[in-house]
Order: sequence, then structure tokens, then C-alpha cells
Amino acid sequence: MAGFGIPWIDFEPTLDNWISQLATPESARALGNSTIVAGCASLLALLLGTPAAYALARFRFHVIPNRDLTVWFLSQRVLPPVATVIPFYLVMRSLDLLDTHLALILVNATFTLPFVVVILRQTFMELPVELEESAFVDGAGYGATFFKIVLPLAAPSIAASGLIIFAFTWNEFLFALTLSSKNVITVPIHMAGGVDSRGVQFWFMAVRAMIAMIPPVLIALLAQRYIVRGLTLGAVKG
Amino acid sequence: MRWTSRVRFLFLMPAVIWVLAFTVFPLGYSLYIAFYKIEQKVEITREKVAVLDENGEPVLSKSGKPRTKNIVHKNEVSTSEFVGAFNFKRLLDDPQVWSAVRVTAIFVGTAVPMQLGLGFLLALLFNQHLFGRPALRAVMILPIFATPIAVGYLFFTIFYEEGGPLGFLGIPFLSNPGWALFSVILVDVWQWTPFCFLVFLAALQGLPDELYEAARIDGASAVDMITKVLLPLLQPTILIVLLLRLAEALKLFDIPFALTGGGPGIATQSYSFLAFRTGLRFFDLGYASAMAYGLLIVVMIIVTLFFRRLRKPMDNVRTRKPGSTGLGEARCPRWLPSWSR
Amino acid sequence: MSWQAKSLCCAAAMLLASTAMAQEYVKWNDDGTVDLMLGAEYDDTVITVKQEDLGGLFGPGEKPFEGAEISVTVNASGPKGGISGPLHAFRGPWEELTGGKLNIVELPFAEHYTKMMLDLRNGTGEYDAFMVGAFWYGDIAPQGYAYEIDELMASGDYPAWTYDDMPPSLKALHTWEGKGIGVLNDADGQVLYYRKSALENPEHQAAFKAEYGYDLPSPPATWQQLRDIARYFNGKNWDDHDAEPDSGMVLHLKVGEQGHYHFQSLSASFAVTPGEKVDQYHNVYWFDPTDMTPLINSPGHVKALEFLQDLHQTGPAAQVGWSLGEAWDYFLRGKSVFVFSWGDVGSLCQDTSRSVIQGDCAAAILPASEEYYDHETGEFVQAENPTPVGNTTGGSWHGVISNFSENPEATYSLLALMAMKDISLWNSQHGWTGVDPGYSYQFLESQGGTATIEQYVAAGWDASDVETYTQAYRDTFYADTMLTYLRIPGTFEYWDILDKNLSAAMSGEKTAQQALDDTAAAWEPVTDRIGRDSQLRDYQAAIGYEG
Repeated sequence: MAGFGIPWIDFEPTLDNWISQLATPESARALGNSTIVAGCASLLALLLGTPAAYALARFRFHVIPNRDLTVWFLSQRVLPPVATVIPFYLVMRSLDLLDTHLALILVNATFTLPFVVVILRQTFMELPVELEESAFVDGAGYGATFFKIVLPLAAPSIAASGLIIFAFTWNEFLFALTLSSKNVITVPIHMAGGVDSRGVQFWFMAVRAMIAMIPPVLIALLAQRYIVRGLTLGAVKG
Repeated sequence: MRWTSRVRFLFLMPAVIWVLAFTVFPLGYSLYIAFYKIEQKVEITREKVAVLDENGEPVLSKSGKPRTKNIVHKNEVSTSEFVGAFNFKRLLDDPQVWSAVRVTAIFVGTAVPMQLGLGFLLALLFNQHLFGRPALRAVMILPIFATPIAVGYLFFTIFYEEGGPLGFLGIPFLSNPGWALFSVILVDVWQWTPFCFLVFLAALQGLPDELYEAARIDGASAVDMITKVLLPLLQPTILIVLLLRLAEALKLFDIPFALTGGGPGIATQSYSFLAFRTGLRFFDLGYASAMAYGLLIVVMIIVTLFFRRLRKPMDNVRTRKPGSTGLGEARCPRWLPSWSR
Repeated sequence: MSWQAKSLCCAAAMLLASTAMAQEYVKWNDDGTVDLMLGAEYDDTVITVKQEDLGGLFGPGEKPFEGAEISVTVNASGPKGGISGPLHAFRGPWEELTGGKLNIVELPFAEHYTKMMLDLRNGTGEYDAFMVGAFWYGDIAPQGYAYEIDELMASGDYPAWTYDDMPPSLKALHTWEGKGIGVLNDADGQVLYYRKSALENPEHQAAFKAEYGYDLPSPPATWQQLRDIARYFNGKNWDDHDAEPDSGMVLHLKVGEQGHYHFQSLSASFAVTPGEKVDQYHNVYWFDPTDMTPLINSPGHVKALEFLQDLHQTGPAAQVGWSLGEAWDYFLRGKSVFVFSWGDVGSLCQDTSRSVIQGDCAAAILPASEEYYDHETGEFVQAENPTPVGNTTGGSWHGVISNFSENPEATYSLLALMAMKDISLWNSQHGWTGVDPGYSYQFLESQGGTATIEQYVAAGWDASDVETYTQAYRDTFYADTMLTYLRIPGTFEYWDILDKNLSAAMSGEKTAQQALDDTAAAWEPVTDRIGRDSQLRDYQAAIGYEG
């Protein structure tokens, strides 16, 4: 095997490292876990966030004006995770949800939800309302209008938000570290495992780092037309 | 389609209730923890029972002994005791806290302006030369979405001082307290300057061409153009980028975790890192919650400062050239009366 | 959710590991022996053990733990990394022997303790065993979190090993109040490694004598001599593996890992007052055993830290951020005269894929200080005959079974398998395993052990390295005066505080005095939080206080 020494000195790039790395059941499982958690959390966030975004774009709220509601959602995004990680941990413990996919999905859906609301609201606002109006005049209800007219029009944008939050969830570290113990160890946690009692094992780290980074980066490239808007929460169009 | 129909609540409420349940409730719970001292203990009793096969017969091992399995009974005992503001008082005279505040302040105060400044300059530069922009955008997206923890470890190898790729510089990237913090800043700048760049570039591209034309005819200098025309026009965009970067930078955790472990000493131990360690490594849950609240208050102050300004860009930032779609909330009242009354 | 997870993972795992899965790991021979085959990943190594040593539960076709699935946590470093490597290597044979399934939960070094404690404090019971550092015992044993193994050991049903193979100093780390908890695996202690060819080079000997006025000792008997030698060699290109100047000493000082151990091992002979028994002033290192006042900022400790700062000047500046791997590599590449560290270095010296110094990798017990601090009189004493202080510094990483485990027997069978003499010896002879020697069958016959030089040579060792290496460990683990090992509740936190301050001192942020004063000040609230009286009781028990 290529030495486990220092790169730049005795690092020999070989495919062996990749194979031996991917062949351990733990690596495969981490990849599976990350996919499940990121996939389900993104779906859940879209499911909750899309209607809310639509409501904020098309309806008017009085007690709390739309703008303030939107900024309230936005401010959730700004919340430091370390402030919620301890209570989250305790809550999940009392619900007996520690080390379950569900716990990580709930947490990540919560943190990506504001993101969905704010950027999709912008998308909906930019859709021409005339189509909805005429559908409504033709007798379609709110639901039908939303599902048949609005969603198809906004589909690319919704898919892009889904991809972006998938990548966010994939990269999330603090909650995954706290809430997982063995069954739901995700890729970032698994790769942080490259530091052992002897310090960083370079070749091994490099391979794990690549495995961790390739999926979110590829996904982001797929959604690249929407990245600027996504990352500025819809405030700037790219 | 009435814009005040009750259906709107059906659309909105699930998300609102969700956020309340999963962020506001934990924050309240966290405050409770900060004021109480919670002790938990689990008592264990173990019971051995025989393993039975499908017919209910005990399973025997080779030596004829019945196989057994264990059932573990757990009994949890928790006590909590009100300690008042004790944990908040501790915050004030804990040198580790002040060091973490200092580290985080230096980090935020250095990294964020660097990212905005560099991002803006690069955007100005590339605003002129448009060739290869799709490729450029793709390259710029890489750092933004690279897993931070992996980035930390990769930079650990890049900053490797004996024979690393930057070793010839002779800079103690990770072994000197000042440099170590600067290295953390560098990694963050590497990761997030592209973000500022992409956003500013998009905003610059959104300005009408006539603007540049007019400026050229007026004979405005480049500096005047930037300070008197572009900066004021881009102000809303700059503000939102600043807010997002400030908020993210205050969360600093992954990079020092991977790159320096908070060291040397506690020279790169960020506030979030300290709170995490206190709560979840040493189980001083109350104190960690109090710490977290300290950070929360700072973030809330920042958000409030931005709040008024933020409401505007939320509605009004339009960076596309005139003529592109740009329907906003403001239109609602105008179209509604025409057909829904 | 979990069925999806499982099916997806299984599919992925099977796809990726299909080559490995088809493999056979155990062969029952007619002559009463059993071949354990580790597979291609481990160079098709075969370790042959006696069938009777495997214990009564095992036999051809027997699957005593069919269906049991166990999870073991370990400092992560993958299939060929320290401590985690052997778990990967013996997973195949164990699964085939028992019919069970092993999950290896690799956790970042800094998070391992956290994860373990979260699991134990909450009674989640996710893990069946932990490959612990012995300094975690104070947080797990008194609370009843650890499963006692004496009964299983005595039953004869499981792979055979015994505490009697351990030196008393190490046995103490695996037991709690006389009861067996830890299963033999790794033996940690720091010794001095030195480049014999450099120290015994006549040219350097002459030049050294001219400069320092005495004969260059090989190896040095005192720390002060060692410092002179390190200074002499530092910055000279005395090693011709490259054209660059080389160093005197290399240290691994990275914060959050195992940097603080250097200070512990080195300061022992400065800060421990030798004496007949363990009382308020003698043979104590961490706390005053009458009231838990920290001793860590005593003049002896401060002098030792100042000495370590001096020693740091004879090595590469970057070592402040180095973990073990980087520092060892520096030594293995022939860049440093000295390193004082764990047994891994000796076995890694033999691994020619990363070492250029096989055959020139000598070892000795750590030197002694010429002066030590007398806690009773408050003065430094010049030792007439400086005696080295032994240590069991480190984690001695080994398995402890969780009391929440539903399969303690299955878990024990795995740990015991890895503790078998033949396997333990094989582990200790291979550097990558992270398993270090310290047991009688790893010491040579001349040292009171049962191993032979031939055994080591057969495993690829250089004969001259073997002798000094095993002798160094024999001396270190059986020394008359030992550094006391802290195993009270909160040890992890005390050491974490110490570690941060030491790192600050080594990087020049704080003076030695300031760093240790800050450590002592930060220790007090920890003691108060856990409870001063209970800490005092536990501390007295842990060090064998005799009043």
C-alpha cells in the first residue's frame, strides 16, 4: 500500500485507496445515510415551504405583514446552530429519536425551511398572475390552481432549491455529530474520523475528503443557474 | 381568488408551526436549562433469559448449556435545581469565554470585510471581460459547496509546514497562535469570496448598460464611478451579503474543528466551538446554554440593526435589466379589485 | 425510515465489498489448530492458534452468537490505522467464528470520549464496547457503566488471555477496585528513541566533548545531557538521507490530541518527590492528596515545562501543530536524533515503506532529571544518582464493554480474540496496528519474557533494534518510581485544560508559570463541580494514598 505518510513526500496516488476506502461497510453506510437524510430533509422542507412561500407571495396577511413574516423566516436562517443543538439533543433524547434518520431529517428540514420559503416566495412573485386569475375564473379552486398552474411553472426553481438544500444538508456537521452515534453517521462525520490517535492520515483523509465533497459540488453545478439567487435568499438574481 | 381568503392560512401555517415547534420551543427549553442545574443518572439492572427457538424450546450450545440473552432494564433518575443567573454570571469572568469572543470578533472583523472587498474587486474586474463566464461560475461554485469539514482537512495538508506545498514560505501557519487564526481566516476567505464575487457580479450585470455609457460621456473617473455610482446602487445587495456573511461567520465551527482543533492553546477556539465543547463534551449543559444565549443575543442585535433595511431589499431589489419580469407584492392591490370584487 | 436505510446500505455495501465477502477466514485443521486468515487487504496473513485456546464455545460449524450484532467504538483511522486497524483485520475471522456481525464505529479522536459519555449517561446503549483510553475509567467505572469481565474470563468458553501477562503497572489500568474491566490490547508508555549511529559517531563525540566538556553519553542518562546533545545536533546535517540540516528533538504538540503526554512523562522526574510511600508530599504528581489542591503549578512542574520549551527549540517549529503521525514521520525520515514517544515508533522503524532508519532505531527508558522538587521542603534537590521514573503515559487503548450492552458475551468474545497471545504478539510487531508491546510474551527471554529475537526477525525486524526496544519497555513498565496515572472522574476535562495551556506555553503565548497557574486555577471549579469530597476519596484510592 502507498505509505500512510505525508503527502508531497511519499504520497502515491493509486486507485487502491479509493477501493479500500469504499469497500468498508462503514463508508458505504455513511454515503447511504447522507443520501437518505439529505434527500428526505430536502423533500420535507420543500413540502412545507413551497405552500408557505406561495401564501406569502400571493396572499396578504394583516396581523403580521408579509414582509415581516418573510424576514422572520429569514432570521431563522441566521440563528446560530450552537444555540439550538443542546436543547435539540435533549428533546431528541426524550423522544427516543437519538441516532435515527428521523431526527436528522427533522433538524435539517427545520434549518433549510426558511431558505425554501424565502427564495420560492421570490419565484412565485415573479410568475405572471394572469394565468392563475384565469384558472380561478374558470372555476378551479385554490388547490387546483396551485397544483396545476403554479407548481409546473415554478418547477425548475423548486428543483433547484431542492438541490441546493440537499447540498447544505449533506455538508451539515454540528447536528450530525451530536445526534448520530452509529446508525446514522453521515459522510462529514465519517470523514472527520480520519484523525486518529496518531493524527491525520494523509492519503486516507484525501480520499475521504474527495468522497465527501464530490456529491454536493456536483449537485451545486447542476443548479448553478440558481445559485446566486439561492444563496442570497432570493434578494439578488443571478 | 381573493387575496384575504382563509385558505392562505392553510398554505402558510404548517411552515410557521413547524418553525415555532423546532426553533422557538428549543430556545425556550434552552433558557430553562440555563437557569436549572440538571443531573441525570441511569440505573442499570441486567436480566438473563434463555433463548427460545420457534417451538419455545431453549436453544442449547455445543456443550449443552442453554443459550441466554440479556435484557437490560434502565431506570432514569433526573433531578433539577434552580440556580438562577449563576451560569450567566460565570460567563462574565471566564477567561476562556473572553478569549473565544476575541477570536470570533477578530475572525468576523477580518474575514467578512476581506470577502466582501475581494469579491467586489473581482466582480468589477470580470464585469468588463465576459468571456468564459460560465466556466468561471462553475469554478467559483466549487468552494462554496465543498463540505467545510473536508475543506478544513484539505487545508491542513496544504498548510503542512514541513515539506507542504507552502512549506517554502517558512510560515508557521498552524503552530503560531496569530498565524493559526489567520490560517482559519484564509480558509474562510477562500471558501466564501467566490460567493461574494458571484453575487456582486450578478448585481453589476443587472445594472443597465446606459449607466456605464452615461458615466463615460460625463468623463467620470473609475474611482468616482465606483464610489459615487456603483456602491450606492449596489447598497441593498451589499447589505444582504454582509448580513449573510456576518451571520455565517459568527457560527464558525467546522473549520477550526478540522484545521486546528482550536489551537494552539485556545488561539483559534471560536465561541461556537467553546459552547459545543462545554455542553456536549463536558456536560455542563446549563453553562453551555447560557453561552449559547450570549451568542444569540449578539446575532439578534445584528439582525435587528439590519431589519429595517432588510425589509426593503426583500421586496425591491431588482437587478435584472428593465423589461424582464418583475412582478412584486406591490402589484397585488392593483390587480385585485379589477376582477375579484 | 430504517428499512430503507438498511436495504440501501446493504445493497451498497454488498456491491462494494462483494469481493471481500466471498472470502473464507477460518480454517479448522486436523492437528487441533485453527488458521485465522486475514485476507488480501492484510497481505493474506494467517495466524495459527490452538483450538483449545479459542475456548469451549467455538468449533467447526458452531455459530455461538448467530444473529448478534455488536458495535464497537474506536478512534478512527480506517482499515490500516492505529487501534482501529486490528478491529477491521479480525472482523472477518470473528464473524465467521461466531455468526455475529460487527459494526466498527470510527469516531474522531476528539469526539470519541464525548460520544461514549453521551451514550452512557443517557443509557442509550447504542454501543456494546468502546476502545477506551485508560484515563476515561474515572468517568465510567465508578458509575457502574462498565461490564465486569472476570466471570467470562474464568469460564473457559472464550479465547484465552490473562492479566498475569501484564506488568502490575499496566494491570492496574485495566481493573477497577480489583475487578477486571478492560481487555488486554495496547500497552502505552513513552520511551526515548535515539539514532545510535549519530550518537556513537567518533567525529561527533569529539566535537561534542570539545563543546560541552564531557563524553557524549549514548543513550543520555539525564534530561540535561539529552538537551545538550539535542542542541549539539540541531541545525547540523548529521544525517545524510537528505542535504538539509536536521534536528535534535522532534515532539508532537498538537492541541486537542496527545501533546500533553510529553509534558507528563518528562516532568515526572522533575516534579515527583521520591519516597518510601505515597503521602502528602511523596510520589504525588497531580493533586495534594489531603485537599485536592492542584500541584500542577509547583516549581517542579514549572521547571519541567521551561525545560520542555528549551527542548522544543532543538526541533522544527512546526511541531507545535503536529500530531503523532507527523512527528514520527520526521524521525523515521532520519530528520531528528531523538523522539520520545510510544511503542509505535519502534515498530514503524521496521516498516521500510516509511522508515529509512531500520537498524538504527535504538530505544531506552526516559532519562531522569538531575534535580527534582521536594514538595515537603519546598526546595529543589540535586539528585546524587538520578533515577529514571517509569510511566504508563497514554491511553493503553483497549476494549471495555458497556453495561448497557445486550450482547456482552458476544462482545467479549471479540475483544478476547484480539487479546490472544499469538494475535497480540502479531499486532505489536506490526507498526500500523497501533498496538504497542508491554506483555510478557512480547518481552525477550533475557528480560523475563517468552519472546525470542527470531520471532521478531521473522516479522521483519532488525535484531539490534529489537533488543533495546523491548528492554526500554521492560524498564519503563517495571520502574521503581512511576508517574501516577490519573483515573478520577473528570480526568478528561482536567487533561483537556492542561493540554490547552501547555499548547499555549509551547507556542509562546504564555510563560510556563502562567500556563500552569492558569491550569491550576481552571482545575478548581471542575473539582468543585464534580464534588471535592468525592474527588478526594477517588484520588486517594486511585494513587494508593497511605497518609
